[in-house]
Amino acid sequence: MTRIHIDEWPPYSPADQAKKDNVLIAAKLMVNAALTAPSTGGVPGQEAEIAYGQKELELIAREMERLAHEQVIERLKKPFLYEAVMVRESDAVVFLGNKRAHETPMDVGCGLCGGEPNCSFVYERLNHYNGLIDATDRRRETAIRGPVCVIRAHDLGYAIGSALWVAGNNFIDAKSCYSVGLAGRNLDFCMNSEIVVGILLGVASKNPYADTPPNYHLTNLAKQVDAVRKITTITRQIPNHPYHTFDPAKKKKTDNTGKEE
Amino acid sequence: MAVYNGQKAVQGHLLDVAKACALAAGRAPAVSHRLEIMTEILTDEDIHPIIDVLATLGENSAFQLHDAVALKALADSGKLPPILLIGADLTKPALWDCGACGFKTCGEYLKYTSRNKGVGVGCYGPSCVWKAIDFGTACDFACACAAQHRVEARIMFSIGAIAMLLGHLDEASMVLGLPVGPSGKNLWFDREAWKDTLSFEQKMMTQMAGGPTLSMAFSGGGNPILKSKPRWWEDPTFLKVEQDATFVEKDVNCQAKAYEKIMRYRGVFGDEDIPE
Repeated sequence: MTRIHIDEWPPYSPADQAKKDNVLIAAKLMVNAALTAPSTGGVPGQEAEIAYGQKELELIAREMERLAHEQVIERLKKPFLYEAVMVRESDAVVFLGNKRAHETPMDVGCGLCGGEPNCSFVYERLNHYNGLIDATDRRRETAIRGPVCVIRAHDLGYAIGSALWVAGNNFIDAKSCYSVGLAGRNLDFCMNSEIVVGILLGVASKNPYADTPPNYHLTNLAKQVDAVRKITTITRQIPNHPYHTFDPAKKKKTDNTGKEE
Repeated sequence: MAVYNGQKAVQGHLLDVAKACALAAGRAPAVSHRLEIMTEILTDEDIHPIIDVLATLGENSAFQLHDAVALKALADSGKLPPILLIGADLTKPALWDCGACGFKTCGEYLKYTSRNKGVGVGCYGPSCVWKAIDFGTACDFACACAAQHRVEARIMFSIGAIAMLLGHLDEASMVLGLPVGPSGKNLWFDREAWKDTLSFEQKMMTQMAGGPTLSMAFSGGGNPILKSKPRWWEDPTFLKVEQDATFVEKDVNCQAKAYEKIMRYRGVFGDEDIPE
């Protein structure tokens, strides 16, 4: 017989790890759902990768923080920093990417990319040989190398939707993020895709992705816990006392001079 | 106490499920946090103009014909399911300067789109890639909602594109159609009405066009035989790459005819403007 004790606290304790293992099962099922999601023409084009473990998530969070300080525009700086915290608070991350958007367009002239009834907008802006796009050139001037086939990118939305639906049906809090996807892609998660989205998964009494206070990268729970650790040791050195022989809570009898007996 | 006709009751229930799907689409999370989802539910005769225009385009394209024939058969048998139209304006950028659309900044994208907004085969563009992804998530939630209600549903580009051109969800740059139903088994996959629409030769041709290498003989000679019949070595047929002016002309005419119908339905043309 086995006893599995499960608790969300403290992080990465055996009790929390048991919970994380449950989340990993859900993450795998989410990927199944992503793969069976509707797609344009039923064409396969999605890939997935799961990040699991303290160090794995920490590296993603750090890449997001690097992007926040070095690369993304001012408007995205705080969202990237906040979501890096959320990565650390997550139990697992599911990455979903579309392999086709940047390399094998749908070639139907839908109009989404350039507003024209052909695919000229994409092909005129990329290196290709008779319509075979050369994706070996991975140099980027922007976060994402564009243009991409927008209807293929649209397919990625369905994969995300089905994955989130499975998470929701299992009452696991989930959040799909640009920041997480970009950092993951830079770290070679879903390495065949140019556009990658990261889905954070968290099981906790409080949804870790909602009710976000200002400056969350400085005010989050981990920082609060650390603040306790940083101050408690210092303060305990002041009210120290020889506890074997003395209890400051005990009232002392005093005579009328105020002198202790 | 009451006794309900099952088929009629189901037809009513499908409308309820379509409403639930509309709710689910609007509730879908968005990576960009900024996408307004528009929905509309069409029933019965409000769907007929879409079938009519699809059939016209289908005169030269199996893709539209496939859907037109299926919808027509459902309409004729009184089983036409309600159609949930889902739309969104994907042209407004997420303002992230991510570069996925092909422009370095959202500012450059906006500068280009202000002069070059146009329509393709079924959507307006250019689009913000992230809005297109979020729109996919919303459509997926609608599909998932139908699936959880054990309702067969199939999200369709053809229906949405025509509906948009007919004036539904006018503010959207992309519209997709989700027939919520019909009741029955796998009717979008095993389409009864499709059985006799194409001849055996046409079906074989479509299959060969989808994967010519499957039927290709030795290609080393430079002019490979395409094995299109049992005794393929007799009077062989060859794989050729050529311009097809007849097909192009027919395609242009079909589209012109379809647009004329659309204009008529929208009331832009009166009956006197264009001879039948």
